[in-house]
Amino acid sequence: MHTEPSAHALPEALIEPSLTVGRVTPGSLDDQVLAFPETPPPRQWYIGLAITLSALFTGLGFIGWTFYKGIGAWGNNSPVFWAFDIINFVFWVGIGHAGTLISAILFLFRKRWRNAIARFAEAMTIFAVMCAVIFPLIHVGRPWVAFWLFPYPNQRALWTNFRSPLLWDVFAVNTYFSVSLMFWYLGLIPDIASMRDRTTSKLRRAIYTALAMGWRGAASHWQHYEKAYLLLAGLATGLVLSVHSVVSFDFATSVVPGWHMTIFPPYFVAGAIFAGFSMVVIVLVVVRETMQLKNLITMRHLDVMNKVILAMSCIMAYSYMMEGFTAWYSMNEYLHHGFMNIITGTYGWAGWITISCNIFIPQLLWFKKCRSSYFWMIFVAIGVTIGMWFERFVIIVISLHQDYLPSAWRIYKPTMTDFGILLGTFGLFFTLVLIFARVLPVIATTEVKAILPDAQPSHGDSHE
Amino acid sequence: MSDAIRKPLLDRTLALLAAPFLLGRQAIEAITPVVEPPRPALRPVPIPPPEHAVKRRG
Amino acid sequence: MKTQLPDHGPVEAPRFWRTLDERVETLEARQAAHDEFLPGAVPSYDDVHGLPPQPSNSRRDFLGLVSAAAALAATVACDRKPQGTVVPYTKRPVEVVPGVANYYASAYQEGRRVYPVLVKTREGRPIHITGNDEHPGVKGKTSPRAMADVLRLYDPDRLRAPKADGRVVAWPEAESRLAVALRGAKAAGKPILLFTGAVVSPTRKALLADLKAALPTLQHLAYEPASGDGAEEAARASYGQSVEVLPRLAKAKVILSLGADFLNGEDPEALAAWGAQRRLKTAKDPINRLWVLEGPLTLTGTNADQRLPVPPSRLAAVAFALARELAAHGLKLPAGADRSALPAGLPKGVDLPAATWSGLVKDLQHAGRNAVVLCGAQMPAEAHQAAHLLNAMLGSEALALVPAEPLATVKDLEAAVQAMAAGQPAVAIFWDVNPAYTYPRAAAWKAALAKVPFRAWIGLVEDETSAQCHLALPEHHWLESWGDATTPGAAVLRQPTVGALYDSRQGEDVLLGALRALGAATAEDGHAYLRARWEKGVLQGASFDQALHDGLVKTTASPAAPAFRGASVAAAAKRATQPTAEGLELVLFPGFATFDGRHANNSWLQETPDPVTKMTWDNPVSVSVQDAKALGIQEGDFVTLTLEGTTLTVPAVIQPGQAKGVLALALGYGRTTGGVAKGVGNDAYPLLGLDPTTANVRPGVRLAKGVGRKDLSRTQSHHRMEGRDLVRSLTMDEYAHNPQGHHHMPELVSLYEEQKFPDHKWGMVIDLAACVGCSACVVACQSENNVPVVGPEQVAKGREMHWIRIDRYYEGELENPKVVHQPMLCQHCDSAPCENVCPVNATNHSPDGLNQMAYNRCVGTRYCANNCPYKVRRFNFLEYTAYKTEPETLAYNPEVTVRPRGVMEKCSFCVQRINDVKIRAKGEGRPVQDGEVTTACMAGCPSDAIVFGDLKDPKSRVAQLVGISRAYRVLEEVGAKPAITYLADLRNPAVEGGTHAH
Repeated sequence: MHTEPSAHALPEALIEPSLTVGRVTPGSLDDQVLAFPETPPPRQWYIGLAITLSALFTGLGFIGWTFYKGIGAWGNNSPVFWAFDIINFVFWVGIGHAGTLISAILFLFRKRWRNAIARFAEAMTIFAVMCAVIFPLIHVGRPWVAFWLFPYPNQRALWTNFRSPLLWDVFAVNTYFSVSLMFWYLGLIPDIASMRDRTTSKLRRAIYTALAMGWRGAASHWQHYEKAYLLLAGLATGLVLSVHSVVSFDFATSVVPGWHMTIFPPYFVAGAIFAGFSMVVIVLVVVRETMQLKNLITMRHLDVMNKVILAMSCIMAYSYMMEGFTAWYSMNEYLHHGFMNIITGTYGWAGWITISCNIFIPQLLWFKKCRSSYFWMIFVAIGVTIGMWFERFVIIVISLHQDYLPSAWRIYKPTMTDFGILLGTFGLFFTLVLIFARVLPVIATTEVKAILPDAQPSHGDSHE
Repeated sequence: MSDAIRKPLLDRTLALLAAPFLLGRQAIEAITPVVEPPRPALRPVPIPPPEHAVKRRG
Repeated sequence: MKTQLPDHGPVEAPRFWRTLDERVETLEARQAAHDEFLPGAVPSYDDVHGLPPQPSNSRRDFLGLVSAAAALAATVACDRKPQGTVVPYTKRPVEVVPGVANYYASAYQEGRRVYPVLVKTREGRPIHITGNDEHPGVKGKTSPRAMADVLRLYDPDRLRAPKADGRVVAWPEAESRLAVALRGAKAAGKPILLFTGAVVSPTRKALLADLKAALPTLQHLAYEPASGDGAEEAARASYGQSVEVLPRLAKAKVILSLGADFLNGEDPEALAAWGAQRRLKTAKDPINRLWVLEGPLTLTGTNADQRLPVPPSRLAAVAFALARELAAHGLKLPAGADRSALPAGLPKGVDLPAATWSGLVKDLQHAGRNAVVLCGAQMPAEAHQAAHLLNAMLGSEALALVPAEPLATVKDLEAAVQAMAAGQPAVAIFWDVNPAYTYPRAAAWKAALAKVPFRAWIGLVEDETSAQCHLALPEHHWLESWGDATTPGAAVLRQPTVGALYDSRQGEDVLLGALRALGAATAEDGHAYLRARWEKGVLQGASFDQALHDGLVKTTASPAAPAFRGASVAAAAKRATQPTAEGLELVLFPGFATFDGRHANNSWLQETPDPVTKMTWDNPVSVSVQDAKALGIQEGDFVTLTLEGTTLTVPAVIQPGQAKGVLALALGYGRTTGGVAKGVGNDAYPLLGLDPTTANVRPGVRLAKGVGRKDLSRTQSHHRMEGRDLVRSLTMDEYAHNPQGHHHMPELVSLYEEQKFPDHKWGMVIDLAACVGCSACVVACQSENNVPVVGPEQVAKGREMHWIRIDRYYEGELENPKVVHQPMLCQHCDSAPCENVCPVNATNHSPDGLNQMAYNRCVGTRYCANNCPYKVRRFNFLEYTAYKTEPETLAYNPEVTVRPRGVMEKCSFCVQRINDVKIRAKGEGRPVQDGEVTTACMAGCPSDAIVFGDLKDPKSRVAQLVGISRAYRVLEEVGAKPAITYLADLRNPAVEGGTHAH
């Protein structure tokens, strides 16, 4: 609770609600959060891990099958040369965007509510990008030469083609991954140092010592830390907007009707934030319940995230309407046909799933009751996850399967291998989430300590 | 390029795993060399030239 | 270790130096530079460090090996082919120069048709077939199936050695068994049945005559299941003898086709004449007119200026009514023909608009000698007779009536079956025929043949007939054989282009061997026999070697055309007007890919889509739009066809334009032998009739919807242009007044500099008016560029690999649509959308205008294929090369890389041919001439619809055609700047918008 204002009382509506519930001291915070890496996980965790690992290994098996047989093991054909592979790639890259937005952009905006959730969100970004990066590597026809996508010095004097959006992807996703990793790791250093100082096990101390990089908590360390954190936050902020824009260029710079639209970069970025926040909501609900972190990840956090989801849903609604308007206004028969396909074509059912899950269902979040109810917010979040996957399906498969020449129009049917690999990426993602939850502190104790009521010297009603 | 189906990933993994075996075999051969009788060459379909035919141009 | 340098005298100071010594140029420096990399110049590790030399396999070596193995395993960066041995000739066959192709003239025969060809061989292997350019008729063109037959030379299922009772035996034993059986039959005076295909070779005919002289009881049946028994019966009735009706379309102004598919690729001469008539440069040029009356939609029907669906059983009645109309309009009936026998009006059930009918009558009447009526081979005999009558009335000069060797009909086969069942013949010999498969009553055939004491078979691939024969003798492929044939205008020769691959013999040699065993004095082998006959006859003093070089000897004598017998009309007209049975009418036609079934084992042909249905690897029954709606049948549904107790379950396709009440089913599928052919499609021969006048048109069929659907292996599943400007088709009126229609090209603005093309700029013009959709270009491209075959499941998934495809669209009402064809291949766009987006630069634009594809560099992200608006890029989704093994891989063209899995491929404008010509021209110190570079598709197109050349040469054909009024480019508004220009299709209908064709 904030101290009472000295001169005039603020109306209740202007009093910022508390970011923690109950009495939280730095000591109790450490004990609560750092207890997880220090104690062995309960049985449910192992059960969960078994499930995610089996999904992961299923996926690895299907990837191995794909390497053995070729891309023909999937459903891709002519003209649908990209299908689940790129849908899944864009899907996972999109999910990663929430983390960076929370970590970096909200940091720059000084939104203090991000502190409790930034660590987990940023971890989810890294895991999501790891899932995404699988696809460019396995979707190529000759994965054993996939490294040719990187401009390395070679005796054949060969450069990659810098005009190709796929190459921009290579740089964008790699930058995104490396910057996110550095940013996340930097934030972890003080917490790992705490763990180093608390642990009694010799092995762990050795590991944490190595990872903590000699952090002593000295003022000079904090100075460097804050500067570095700020710089990386600034870098990562740009990435939130640029990475998915570059991914959208895969489509927007092509000539395929239904892809070649300038709305794609902002549309994709909004969609990414949309999907990412939904995934964060799902995971955080589970985390706060199973790890008893309700006092740190409060209903307010969930409420705010749901509002962001709602806002993104409205932007998505606008984007879909603009697509429709553009299709009509352009007088371009190819674009018009492509748009009608989304609503009434063979894959029209996918179009309607997309619209329902992305626009109609999230409108429930206008209601406070829904924003505070686990059931409804998870319902909406899962709906959004499904809807956003189908949105990429709609964009890729519907636009490709019927483009300029009707003689080339064909139906696309995914195979079990396609589904298996998708399942495998979910397995990878949640395996990493589960491991992270028990190995590293899921809440940035340093940052939360900074927003505890007693943390900052109070100057009346000023906020830090 | 087509006669054998190429599986590069498999090839390389096997090469990595097989290196100790191959070296061991080389070691053994250095100690007790094995002489293999020459095998008759497997002939693919022979392509004989046409007899008495006259070509239009070469 | 120091070597003595020869003294070259003073050396000028080098401009660049690597060491001070070199700069100062001491002798030691030059010595050291010379020694630098000589063997032994680098001291070994032991020498350098002064250590005692080690024996092999030292620890050092061991460590070296371990690290090398690890390094190798990790760094084998390019996927190398497992090392084989390349052994050059030690004694090179005189004619074979590695890297230089040899061309031989030869001749291919299919049914009654003869195709003079030129065979390209590399290192002794035939790899590509085109037409013989010296032949005055075909002028370098040939049929798609002739081009594809090179693959059959390397058919892995070929019989490689003689077999007796299933065991491999040597030739002497096999021949002696045959001789014994023949001698026995001769002595006992029992009939000997010899079944062959059509005899078009005078040498073979002479040999058979010699055989008959030695074996008086020999009965010879020449049976061609696809030639159309009705045609044979009709010829005998109309002319008293077997006659081939050959179109001479150069003279034809009006063509009426009664179900005649003369544009389907089987007749390159007809297509050449067609092309010549349709490749108009201006709207004022003369053009012919094609009327088509037919039941199923044939390829010729798709190219008609005016097409009317008429059930085949009613064609004759319509044609006779037409004859009566023409007689009323002044054309005289031939002597003996009775006008009253001709029907007065159109038969019941055939509705033709009055204006159209009178237009047809007027057209034919005005054209007179320049009109011709052609009848489809499978049509009933009375329809043929009506065509003969009409041609006689018109005095048509646009056809040649050539007396031919008589063919047996299905009735003759039936008689043979009865004779065999009665136990009469002692010997049955089958030479290149398969009646066990093609005779409609398979069970009866099998039982009857089993009664013949000795059965011998001579053929290429063991089939349904050889399974029942005691002796199976492997025959040479025609590419390994000697022979000859007669064509109008030239006697052609067949010579071997390669020695025999296996222990096979020519059929002629087997029979000559038999003749010798019977005591007749005769030549030792087919070659000698042929040469002796030629030197005595055709050559007339000319050199045999010259004839072999040309592949032919021109002949001027044309046999007299037989006269039409007017008296035959009455009976035919009576048959024509008989009422038909209830139910649907089934037309059994030779499959585009399989013909009569002989090509079922040719994977190239099985995968080339049927030009009308775009089906591959299967023969669904075509159902008309009206019937499908009435019966609730959808594309791919299984249906059952029942006729006279025989039931067949086949998938169905809905065929726009097919006449109501008519079904069409292709023959040649459902084979039970052959690695490729087995189990593909359904055997339709059981539905063939035993009445030769209408064996292929069967009324009274019942069709019912079956259970389930089949995923059709179709290369095209969407058949409408959706209002897009893709294929332009102009009537002659439109051509004269508004060839560009209402299409306005938006101005294309580019941010980039245009690429400069300093030397050549290759371009192509495709004349859609000449293109009939025969798919010869598809087969030619597959043969030239090693395009893989993917099989039916992959085609059903949409992964066929053809670099050039023919898009076929229906326009207008589906009951009788206008059909257009458009060859679509890589457009080699100057502003190619595919080139931008490849992340590894595997595709880029050459300085002479080609969009190049670097297979080695492609990682297979497939972005280029997504970005191609024409969707002409093909991806190797699986290791398609694994589907072919030796000996089939011998058919590959060594000048073109075979692409592995994971790599994108597409038309290269036959860059290997372009480079070949450029190198040759450079070597001869001259520029490349127009027409010297021919892409495979251009060389294969029988109607010369495809023209390739240098757009920078103002005198080239392409440069001149690009500017004519009906030229346009496809999807020009996308801004890709394609290098291929299309010339709009032309239609010349009689009613509304056509011109009168005189």
